[in-house]
Amino acid sequence: MTGLFQVPAGLMPLLLLGLVLAGYLVWLVWSALTSPIPLLYNVKSVFVRWRATLATVLGVALVVTVYLLMQAMAAGLEKSSANTGDPRNVMIARKGSTAESSSQVTREQFRILKYFPEIARDERGRPLVSADLVVIMNLPRRNGSGEANVTMRGVTPLGRELRPQVRLVAGRWFEPGKREAVVSVRMAERFANTDIGQRFKTGGHELTVVGWFEGGDSAFDSEMWMDADEARSIFNRHNYSSVLARAAPGAAQALIRRIESDRRLPLKAEPETQYYAEQTRTARPIRILGSFLATAMSIGAVFAAMNTMYASVGARTREIGTLRVLGFRRRTILASFNLEGAILAGLGGVLGCALAWLAQTLCVAFGVRFGTLSFNTFSEVIFQFRVTPALLMEGMLFAVAVGIAGSLLPAIRAARLPVIAALRAV
Amino acid sequence: MAEVAVTLSTFILKNALRNKRRATLSVLSVAVSLFLLVTLLVGLRELTLPVEDSGAALRVAVRNKISIANLLPARQRPIIERIPGVEAVTPFTWFGGKYKNEQGMTFAQFAMDPRKLRSVFGEAKMDEAAYKAFEAEREACIIGKITAEKYGLKVGDRFSLESTVYPVTMEFKVVGIYSGTADDRNMLFRQDYLDERSGVKGLVGMWWVKVRSAEDMPQVLAAINRAFENSAAEVRAETERAFQLSFISMWGNIRLLVMLISSAVVFTLLLVTTSTMSMAIRERFRELAILKAVGFRRRELFACILAESFGLAMAGGILGVGGAYALFTYGNVSLMTHGVFQFLEVTPKIVATGFSVAALLGVVSSILPGIAAARMSVVEGLKTLD
Repeated sequence: MTGLFQVPAGLMPLLLLGLVLAGYLVWLVWSALTSPIPLLYNVKSVFVRWRATLATVLGVALVVTVYLLMQAMAAGLEKSSANTGDPRNVMIARKGSTAESSSQVTREQFRILKYFPEIARDERGRPLVSADLVVIMNLPRRNGSGEANVTMRGVTPLGRELRPQVRLVAGRWFEPGKREAVVSVRMAERFANTDIGQRFKTGGHELTVVGWFEGGDSAFDSEMWMDADEARSIFNRHNYSSVLARAAPGAAQALIRRIESDRRLPLKAEPETQYYAEQTRTARPIRILGSFLATAMSIGAVFAAMNTMYASVGARTREIGTLRVLGFRRRTILASFNLEGAILAGLGGVLGCALAWLAQTLCVAFGVRFGTLSFNTFSEVIFQFRVTPALLMEGMLFAVAVGIAGSLLPAIRAARLPVIAALRAV
Repeated sequence: MAEVAVTLSTFILKNALRNKRRATLSVLSVAVSLFLLVTLLVGLRELTLPVEDSGAALRVAVRNKISIANLLPARQRPIIERIPGVEAVTPFTWFGGKYKNEQGMTFAQFAMDPRKLRSVFGEAKMDEAAYKAFEAEREACIIGKITAEKYGLKVGDRFSLESTVYPVTMEFKVVGIYSGTADDRNMLFRQDYLDERSGVKGLVGMWWVKVRSAEDMPQVLAAINRAFENSAAEVRAETERAFQLSFISMWGNIRLLVMLISSAVVFTLLLVTTSTMSMAIRERFRELAILKAVGFRRRELFACILAESFGLAMAGGILGVGGAYALFTYGNVSLMTHGVFQFLEVTPKIVATGFSVAALLGVVSSILPGIAAARMSVVEGLKTLD
């Protein structure tokens, strides 16, 4: 098989379902188009009986909205990890550690790897490599609702150059030795005493906030930064947490191989982008919760759609009889009622997508962001909804599936009605 | 009089069940939604409510003031032990071990002082031999009943864990299985064994302190906090409850989110049930008109409609809330949630919330059809064909 057909195992059932659904939809539309009166009839029916259908449409819409927003949160969380890092950079941490905060790189190890020839150098011949210290601090929230863990990164001036995503937007950078820190704008929105000029206390030390930075929707948006050596001294650490190195052009793999094979270094090296990509598993619980909610709510929605469609079929028994007398076949009736269900739920889907889109737009407009505990870094991560076109497609697919599932049985009932009895119905 | 009541209730019951398919579908959609609501509430409660242990009232957690992820110097121990009112002190160090390449959450492991197990965590029940072995053997570890059952571990088994915090992989021997704490999942092993194997000496994760009596509590907390002020490792001493609550604040806006989703679920439910009830009533406008013509009053008709919709909603409630209760009480929660939750306790309060929503639903969804039925004139109703 070629690479084109390689689908992640978890997606296979979804893909198959999508294919079956798409095939069935094509058949439905085809049968409806070949006998166009019922199609128009069904579309009109949806709107004529609006009182009965409105509740179902709204129900499906809310199911789709909840599903989309949950998935959009997971997507936002994943995006902030995926946005982080430079493909030329190599992240070096202790073997076996799962996060920078639990990793240690000794000064001895740093001295050894600093002068590896695969590391790029600046115009003055200094290797582009930075040893950082990552410390988790517990700070009070701005709104007074308790405290949360925050990632404090001690960086060197070179470390700042290696992360060009991070831009200062207010104030200035910290100066070493003056107990100064810069804070991401997003963190400043959430934590107390982080306005420029204010001081916050951690352990026995006070740090003055001198600047705000933006991380360009990356994981750095969930961080605060200060000088690396100063951080080592006030947090009492002998070692660094991790090392970030800019590999010479085309030498990233060679650098990784050299570090991993050096017996003096019990370290793990990987491209920085890959390191952050692995952190996306923070979003897994949200994805699981979202899928669970969607499944449970869609079962409820299928029942609701079934009720509406049964009532609709029941009320139109005479009309169905008339159609049959006019020569429309049973399967055309089946297709048309099934299609009516799909249209009904599709309307709900469109509404649901619109609601989710609106929620995202409002969140962006008012700068509302979400924060939660990341199990990877054991500190707060901040993220934003991200309603992607792919998600909207998923939402619509979902709605149509609910509609078809909910109207299948009523449609079969409609198709099976005996003509004479149907005509006689009051 | 009693006969009339019986006839009326039979009438309502017959009406509710005359379209069995619709009744079933309505009950099921209410049931599914209430099941979902209960699940959300139970999950939220589990996330935001600290576990209460019987010994919690007399226990103090002492952590690094910077955050719990920062270690404390072991030399603090004798200083804490000398504070009046302190009965016992044990280190408690997070090991972060990975069990057999398993991904995600497995179980937590902590290093501690085996001699202080009984005095600090007295609620853990274990046989006498296990206590002795834990104190005697360096590689000894004890594990909670839930974890032991999950991984099929027995006393005498050996296994190894690779730490994500320390640069070491350690071998352990199970000497005891405990139960009786609020969360029988953790593995406990010896701090001296960790020091020896990791090469990291003189540092511990945090301290758990047992206080002699409740009266000593405030003064012990203050004394511990004061003892390390302006030292290289300032500490935060707090009661077990405050310590647990501090984790909850870390969840951020998740609580708000679950609340929003729950409201969406309830609202959807309301829409669907109202529409079903309206359908049911529209269908028998003619009959209602006849009832009116025969002399039934509006109030009585409304009572009939209310009773029917209330009954359907309650049936859904019994099925949904009861189903959730049965599933979470008798099912294997750990397996169902991929280990995210060990327990999901459906408390009386949550059951009551579920039924209140069902009752509200029954009442609210009968209002619109009820008004429509009351307003209609007899002639108009008799003319209705649908």
